[in-house]
Order: sequence, then structure tokens, then C-alpha cells
Amino acid sequence: MDALFEFLFKYRPLVFEQGEFALGAPGSLRVGLLAAGIVGAIAVATYTLARADSSAGERTAMAGLRVALLAVLLFCLLRPTLVLSTVVPQQNFLGILVDDSRSMQLADQDGVTRGEFVREAFDPETSQLLRELGERFTLRFFRFASDASRLEGPEELTFEGTHTDLGSALDVAREELSGVPLSGLVLLSDGADNTDRPVTESLVPLQASGVPVFTVGLGEERVEPDIELGRVELPRAVLEGSSLMVDVVVTQTGFGRATVPVIIEDDRQILAEEEVTLGPDGEPVVTRMAFQLDVTGPRRVRFRIPPQEGERVQENNARDVWIEVQGNREKILYLEGEPRFEVKFTRRAVADDENLQVVTLLRTAENKFYRMSVDDPEELAGGFPRTRAELFQYRALILGSVEASFFTQDQLQMIADFVSERGGGLLMLGGRSSFAEGGWDGTAVAEVLPVVLQDAPVTRPGQEGAAFLTELDVSPTPAGQAHAALQLGEDYEDPVARWEWLPPLTGVNRITEVKPGATALLTGALPDGGEPQVVLAHQRYGRGKALAFTAQDSWTWQMHADVPVDDNSHETFWRQILRWLVDGVPEAVSVTVDREQVESGQAVGLVATVGDSTYLEVNDARVEARITRPTGLVDTLPLEWTVERDGEYRADVVPLEEGDYEVEVVALRGDEELGRDVTYLHTAPSDDEYFGAGRRTALLQRIADETEGRYYSPSTLSSLPDDISVTGAGVTLTEERDLWDMPALFLLMITLMGAEWGFRRLRGMA
Amino acid sequence: MRTISWRRVAWTVAAFAAVGVSAGTTGSEALGTEWSALQAQQPPPPGRPSAQERADVLRLPPEDEPAGRHAFYWTRAVYSGSRGGWWGRGRPAWATDFPKGDRQFLVVLQRLVQLDAYDFENAVRLDDPELRRFPLVYAVEVGHMNLTDEEIRGLRGFLEAGGMLLVDDFWGGREWAQFEYNMARVLPNRPIVEIPPDHPLFSAHYQIDEIKQVPARGRGIRGRPTWERPDAQTPHVRGIFDEEGRLMVVINFNTDLGDAWEWAEDPYYPLEYSTFAYELGANMIVYGMSH
Repeated sequence: MDALFEFLFKYRPLVFEQGEFALGAPGSLRVGLLAAGIVGAIAVATYTLARADSSAGERTAMAGLRVALLAVLLFCLLRPTLVLSTVVPQQNFLGILVDDSRSMQLADQDGVTRGEFVREAFDPETSQLLRELGERFTLRFFRFASDASRLEGPEELTFEGTHTDLGSALDVAREELSGVPLSGLVLLSDGADNTDRPVTESLVPLQASGVPVFTVGLGEERVEPDIELGRVELPRAVLEGSSLMVDVVVTQTGFGRATVPVIIEDDRQILAEEEVTLGPDGEPVVTRMAFQLDVTGPRRVRFRIPPQEGERVQENNARDVWIEVQGNREKILYLEGEPRFEVKFTRRAVADDENLQVVTLLRTAENKFYRMSVDDPEELAGGFPRTRAELFQYRALILGSVEASFFTQDQLQMIADFVSERGGGLLMLGGRSSFAEGGWDGTAVAEVLPVVLQDAPVTRPGQEGAAFLTELDVSPTPAGQAHAALQLGEDYEDPVARWEWLPPLTGVNRITEVKPGATALLTGALPDGGEPQVVLAHQRYGRGKALAFTAQDSWTWQMHADVPVDDNSHETFWRQILRWLVDGVPEAVSVTVDREQVESGQAVGLVATVGDSTYLEVNDARVEARITRPTGLVDTLPLEWTVERDGEYRADVVPLEEGDYEVEVVALRGDEELGRDVTYLHTAPSDDEYFGAGRRTALLQRIADETEGRYYSPSTLSSLPDDISVTGAGVTLTEERDLWDMPALFLLMITLMGAEWGFRRLRGMA
Repeated sequence: MRTISWRRVAWTVAAFAAVGVSAGTTGSEALGTEWSALQAQQPPPPGRPSAQERADVLRLPPEDEPAGRHAFYWTRAVYSGSRGGWWGRGRPAWATDFPKGDRQFLVVLQRLVQLDAYDFENAVRLDDPELRRFPLVYAVEVGHMNLTDEEIRGLRGFLEAGGMLLVDDFWGGREWAQFEYNMARVLPNRPIVEIPPDHPLFSAHYQIDEIKQVPARGRGIRGRPTWERPDAQTPHVRGIFDEEGRLMVVINFNTDLGDAWEWAEDPYYPLEYSTFAYELGANMIVYGMSH
């Protein structure tokens, strides 16, 4: 279409878009109007005065055609021109940025790879494009992948880069060419940017300095047939033996609704396998899979789909995720206000779990406690902890049926701080002295709880026991069905079935509402059909999380006559709930890396948070990372306080060897060690380039539009030199281009003459 | 007519206070008053129940008192006994001291232990599926038990699911053999062993350093030997443990805790024994509800 336009109007549409129209004849407007008036009058008079055998209508039509012909002629005589601002040849620079990443190796560019297309297009020997650009601009080549650098020529391209960072490529080219007259940047890429940084940040300085970016999209938008595994999210660390539930997203193009296996494996064994029926082209399907990790240490978990026959990109069928499996024994403090079977059965449920230690403080009489699972005779000898250091040594706190007045105000505030500042987990269990019935409303702890405490029913005179008692037929909410801690059976596809089968519980606390921001995971239907009770809810609170379990006798799931003796629902429920409760609870000193898996040479941020035994942030600590390389060499690296945030220390590390790094951070204040923590870092080549490797036209189009450049496909690339000449920035001059000799005008005149002649023939006048 | 020694009464009152019974009221007279008041309340003593009544009437709580209202129901095992299931004085073996012993025990227990307990007795048959709603069950005179196959299955399921059986008031080798035979049917290959003195059962609420032989009421009052048979002179607290080392059955052999609970208000019953019986009883409850 552009070629036809150029044939008719002499120039391509872009030239008209960029130019301004003008008439070149001197005094053109007045002369033109006068001449038009005279010519028009003569033409009309000629036809009006003619004595031919014709009607007035016919004469008017012929007069119109003649006037039009004369008008076109007159237009040409007025010398129409297009005034353009064009770049001065050889006075300007042009940056050419070539994607050097692995995705350029995909052979979807008219039978050749994207990279080969670039090499041919810029071959110094044969390329017409390069010659034309070279005649007009001083060319500067850049290659880019995860970083960008100058390139002497296209022959230096390797297409081995493991990431694509369009933003940094534009930044580097702009900075390198900042001191010279720059007509623009040409970006040749598939647009498959796989960094977290939005490219918009790099466009703003280009817009400000008026540098247009001309983008050239390579490859196909859809690489097919192909199956791609979506990103998989797992926690950074889990306790040994914890159940993990993960949503695996699979997208296909060109395979139809086939069924393929999804396999989860580590270095030793297959952890889970499931058949997935693929969705329609381009539509992701989600399958939920569960697995366990039983070996401690840093583990690489691989999610993969075996390559299918004819598949174009096989590298995007697998995802690796690193996860640290911890063998810690996590201490949970369970305070129970009175002997209840809930104590016995909850403790029994997790007794076999070597990663959980439920230290129990059971009040058996006024100021008399029975301690269980304590480490030494001194632990909790004085009853419930009275200092932050004593309480904060635990990672979670369970409050059973114990009234709020049991605690001092300081202790109540300390429990709230345990969650918000220490980051611990809090679980309140239902019971006659829990929630509103235990006078908890209005306390600092009530703020932490995820449920709204309703007014406690008043016990009637003569009434014995709990004032409110209801049966609760427990079932998971949609959020609960998807929660790993609430998967009781093997059949993860039907998470509700097991719940429907469990016998009902009872509750003595009326709770029907969760707080804004909290999530209900289990609800209980009442036998009378009343408003359902919230049975399990949770919310984040500060650094920690709070759970409320409002039933009073979960042990029924173990002891009810309908529950087989060998059924593990009750054990599984409590094991998973308590593991979840301690999951992610921070240490006083903890370290994280901003990316667990990187490529060698890529910088990684180490961030340590440092607190004392009461979890108050420490800013004057000496923090040091001891980094053990894959070869066993140990480097030490100091971390500096970031100043912006209390207790936060930071350093960047650049791993150069491929393999697994262990990073141990030690924090000292004076000679006192505040704590230490270990994390892991893994360096390996990345396959990220093969995920989402189709051409992203929209992104490339947006880069061009926002910088007033243009987007090109390989087929329209040949017009690039001319386009940059008229649209580019840099040193320019004003140029007038004649339009009077446009073939379109000549054709118009011929057409008008032919029309008049034809009309006469039709009417018998010629 | 026997005269009451005032010194003895004073000693009794002081002893009750020592075990924490006398909070607000004092001594055996007050306890007796409470017992009378309780007795005046529902439900009436069961008398001589038929099998159907044992199944339907004796099992508490009644319909208007649903299980779940309280954290604890003191539950007595109803089992089939030898000699046609009936034993002495027209009462079945399981119903010895029932229900006075149960109610009396609950009155004192709730003063010794902070416990939300139902005030009345609760008798459940071993072959009743409802048994598993009451994870702590008490059985007496087990030397006369002769369990049916259904009861064997019921008790086995109860224990394997996590329930605990407390056994009391049986004496001598013959009764032991009868009990041991029945338990071997319930839990084959699970040996009965002596519970070591450092076991938490003896320290869960009270520190118990010595296992005392608690005599039946008559022997306690008359000051006769505390044992009932020549081959029952040494008291034992034995147990059956599961494969995880958890106590499933606590066996009080050659002793009668139940009589001490039942007759604690009797000024002639030696307080030494009732005190011990309540201490061990409280420990069994606290331990049974927490381990």
C-alpha cells in the first residue's frame, strides 16, 4: 500500500506526515484566486453560450468537468511544495542496538533465525540497508542482552545472552551518544524483555532529549507448536516434611487440547506427577499439585513437561526453583487455661513431628501450672513469660481457653508485639474463656485477631456451662480449598470431599465476621441454618500472622466413632496448621538475597535485618557475610547499615563461579553475638530467554510511539534510511520538495479530460 | 454406740483444708451437705437397671444437656460382668459406688483442679459408639468383667483412637487374672507393666512419691488391714502403653480409690487415704486430659 502511495504521490506517507504544505509561486494566493476566477468564468460562459442541442444539465456537467481540469492545472502552476526538515547527511549519528540474547536463536524469521536475519541485514559486504544508512549517518552499533556494550560490527554478535533488558540497552546507548548530534536509535529485537524493571523508565530521558527510537520487531508473535510452563512460586524456606501446594500454569499453542504429564522432581526423585489437559491456544490452564520435601538443605525443585514431538522451543518446558528445607525444631508455646481434651489431642497430633516442639503451659489450678515439653526445669517455671526476651524465644503462641484477665496489661501488649514486631504466629483456640467470652474484646490482643469479637451471650441464672453452644459442620471456603495447610487428603483435585466427611465440631464462641483484610478459611454451618460461624481465619499483622480457630473440640475429628482409628485427618490438620503458624517467622538476625538464582557475574543484593533478643532493631551492629564459594573458598564481606530503615544492613555480592554459594551472616555488637543466619545463592545459566520468546509487538510499538519514532517489521525495514532522514533529530536543514509533478495530479487531469470526452460521446455531442 | 472423738474431727477438717477442699466451706460436714443437695437434684440413682436402661437411660448427659457444654464428663464404663453380669447386693460390678462416688469425686475434683466438669455421673457402655465422645473412662471391679466381643471391639477402638481407661478397685490374683484375660483380648500383645515412679502421672498435679493402699470403707473405718485378700497386700499402679510410649490404661490394683472418694466425708474414714485417692485421681485427670 505504501508503494502505491509513493507511486501516486511521489513520496511515502511519512514524508507528508512530517512536512508542511506550501505553494511555491510568487504572490501565489492572489494570482491564483484571480486566475481561477477568470478561468472558471470563461469555462462556464463557453458552455452557457453554446448553441448546441443540449440540455442545461448536460451543459452544467461538462462545465464542471472543464472547470475541475483547469483548477488542477492551475494548482500545478502555483507550484505546490512540501517543506521538510531533513537531517544533514554525514553530520549525524545513528545508534543501532541489536538484541544479542538467546531468544534470537529461534528460527522463526522466514526460515532463518532472528539472529541470522540481523547479520544479513547488516552484512557490510552485501547489505543495501547498511550502505544507505552509512551514506547518511555515522553509525554506532551496540549489542545488548542483560547488559549493553559497544559493538564494532554485526559479526561480533553471539546471541548467547541469557536475559533481555531493553531499558538498560536504551540507557547505555543514550549515554554513550550523549555528546554527539543523534538522529535516533534503531532497536532490533524480539522485544522479549524479561527483567523486572519497566522499560518506561528509560523512555523518559529519550523523550526529554527528543531522540526517536525506531524499533524493528523480529520473529513471530506466536512460536508454535509450543508448550510453556509458567512461573512457579514457592516459599524461600520450609520445614522438613511440610506439604507444599503449588499452582502450575501451562500454556500451549499449536498442540490442541492434548494431555501432557507435569512432573515435579528434585535431584533424587520424582516428587509428584499429574496429567494435565491443555487449554485452547494461548489460554493458560492451572493445575494444583502437592508434594513434600523430606531432605534438609538447599534443594532444587524442577517442574517439567517432557518435550512433545515437533515442539519448537523445548527449553521453556522446565522451571527450576530453589528452596531451603530446614530441619529446625520450632518451639511453639501453648498456654491453656484449664485441662481440656483439646490439649491432649493437639499435642498428640504433632508429637511425631520432629520439627515442632509444642511447649505447653497448662493451668491446672489457680496459679498452678503443669509444664510439658520444656527444655529445662527453669523454662516457664514462673508461669507465662513476663519479659519480651522470654516470650520472643518462641516462634508461635497458642492461646487456649484462658481469660484475658489472666494476663497483665504489659503481657497483653507483649503478645500483640510478639506478632507485630517479633513476627511470630498467634493462634487463639475456641473455648469458654476465649474470644469475647474470655473478656478479650478491647485488649491489645483483640486488635491482632483476624475475627470480629461479638458480644458474649450472658449466662442465664441457673444455667450451667457455656451460654452459647452450637454444632459446627465445618467446610473450607474457596480460599481454604486452595490453602496448603487445609489439604487433608491425597486427592488434591477435590479438596472439599474430606471435609464433608468429617464429623461436626462444637463451638461456644459466636463469631461470624472476619476483619477487613483477614481471610476466612473454614466456616461452620449451624444445624438451625443460622448465619454460618467463622471456624478458621487468618490475617497478617505487622511482621507476623494471627489465626483464630473458633471450634472448641477439634479432637472430635480423632475420637468420633465414625472416624476410623487409622484416619489421619486430625493429625494432618494440626501438623499443617502449626507448621504454617511458624512458617516464615523471622529470627532476630536474618538474611535474604534479592534473587536466589543468578548468572555468574550478575550482582546480587544481600539484605540482613538485625535485632536483639527482644527483636528491637539494632543499627550499631557489626555485620559480616561469610560467603562460601562452590569451590570451598570463603570470602568475607561487610554489610553496611542502610540508614533508610532501622536494623537493615546491605551489601552487593557478585558471584563469579557457577554452582551453589552458602551465605552466612553474623551480627555482633561489641563482643556479643546477636545472631546469625544462613541463606543460599545459586549461579547457573538461565533459560529465561526461552520463556515468552514470541515477538512482543505491542511493547516495541509503544517504545516507538512514545519517542516519536516508528515501528518496523523486517519487510518494511528498507524504508528506514529515508524515514530517519525526515523524522530524525540532530543537525537538520529545511528542504522544499515539489509536488506539482506528482503522478496523481497528471492522472487526475487525464481522468477529467477523459470524463468530458466520454460524456460528450455518450450524449452524441462528439 | 460409738462416740466421736473431737480431736479426730478437728484433724479431718484440717486435712481437708490441706488438700484444698475447704475453699469457702469447711470440712466433712460441708461436703456432706453438698452431697445431700446434689443427691436431691436430678438424676435419681439408677437402682437396678435393665440392659436397655443401661444403654439408654444411664448414659448422660441427657438430651437437654448436649455433650460439648462442658470440657469434661466423668464417665464410667458399663461392661458385662461375670456371674451373669451382676455382682453383690443386686448391683452390677460396673455400678459399684455408682453414682455417689462419681458425684462426690466431681465435687472435690472441681475444687482441686480448675476444670469445667459436668456435675453428674455419665455411664456409657463399652460397645456404645458414643463412648469415644468421652476420651477418659473409669472402670471399677474389673476383676468381674467378662467382655462381649462387641465390648472388646468398642474398647479397643476407643483406646487405639486415643482414649484412656482408668481402672480401680479389684484385688488379688484371681481378679487380676480375669482382668488380664479381658485386656489381652482387647489389646493383644500389649503387656501390662508397672508405671515407673518418675512417670508424669505421679507429678502432673500433685507430687506423689509413695503408692498407698487405699482400703474399702469398712476396712478403713474399722482399722483392719487395708488389703482385702491375703494375696492383695501390695498396691500397684500399672499401665498399658502404646507403641509411642503413651499411656492407654492406668490400672489401680489392690486398692480402692473409689471408696475413698465416695466416703471422704465420713469422719471415721482415714483422711490419709482419701487425700491420697484425691491426689492420684486429680493427677489421672490432668494427665489423661493432656497427654
